[in-house]
Amino acid sequence: LSVADVTLTRGTEQQFDLSIGCLPVSLRVAESALFKSLVSRYARFAVASDVPIPICVNCGMPETDFASEFDYEFEGAKLFASKSGAHFENVRNEYALDTLLRVFLSWALLPRSGFLLHASTVVKNGKAYVFMGKSGAGKSTIASMSPAGSVLTDEISLLRCENDQWRAHGTPFWGEFRAEGSNTSAPVAGIFRLQQAPVNRATRIRPMEMLRVTLPNVLFFSSETRANARLLEVLGAAAEEISAYDLAFRKEPAFWEALPA
Amino acid sequence: MNISSVLWQKNPALAWREVDDDTIIISPNESLMHELNDTGSFLWKNIDGQKSAAQLADLLVAAYEVSPEIALADTESLLQELSSRKLVVEVASSDKESK
Repeated sequence: LSVADVTLTRGTEQQFDLSIGCLPVSLRVAESALFKSLVSRYARFAVASDVPIPICVNCGMPETDFASEFDYEFEGAKLFASKSGAHFENVRNEYALDTLLRVFLSWALLPRSGFLLHASTVVKNGKAYVFMGKSGAGKSTIASMSPAGSVLTDEISLLRCENDQWRAHGTPFWGEFRAEGSNTSAPVAGIFRLQQAPVNRATRIRPMEMLRVTLPNVLFFSSETRANARLLEVLGAAAEEISAYDLAFRKEPAFWEALPA
Repeated sequence: MNISSVLWQKNPALAWREVDDDTIIISPNESLMHELNDTGSFLWKNIDGQKSAAQLADLLVAAYEVSPEIALADTESLLQELSSRKLVVEVASSDKESK
């Protein structure tokens, strides 16, 4: 359903449709080996859509009439994005593609009141608990201690405000725990800043403190003023509307008892 | 030149947002984050390219329980700090004449 051949102006390319955080994109790839690896990597997120955002991978540099609004370069791989689509060029392997896809999403989510956060997310009783912290703080540990199927992501969380409700979505961007991510979402119960401690205790933090600790953990790559202003607008709303806590926790499942219901 | 008479404006390259009574400012080009407390936020909101330190200090006196002397000293100190971080810039003479 989500894999197809598509004839573009430059020749036949293979197309893979996926959706991350309810944002449908269509990857159009010329090389078979790269195509096969991304079909495998993003299999759980394969979703066909009537109007996906087209992303041309190694299709050649954009036409002169392509008005790029956001450019980014990572180890030689280049991204050119506009509201109508994107071009990824010089993509040598699936890891470079994965990086550019994260970068593109971080930009494309902004007008949709969403953002990517370096955090793991676990669903319990129908609500999403988002765990943020420095490397080694316990994001992956919490994911590894959680029941199978409850981990939306152990590395990159996607938060979006939809119909006045903040929801956390799974992503295919995995981390240490190598949870492949779940293409589902749940309303956000709270964001928790992790700190390993001898006791389990959750302490509410103010919106400004949440914004302060969230900003460095947000995936964002644009230096353009308007994009940054929009980012602050979205994060400011999240800080005011989502409950946030400092979570001192021990590496044992009993830490859940300290969390608000 | 008397520093109190210089007009100040926000650096247009910045993004900023008020949360609670505080303000967070991003310098996109340097990827730096800055914070202002409530009185700093009050002054920040009123930095509009048309006010000097003296005029900003007058607003501070009207809004907070603070003497004019302390208000002016604190305002000048904040403006110097903001200027050193390139968060505010002086209004150019040509712009000033057209205001």
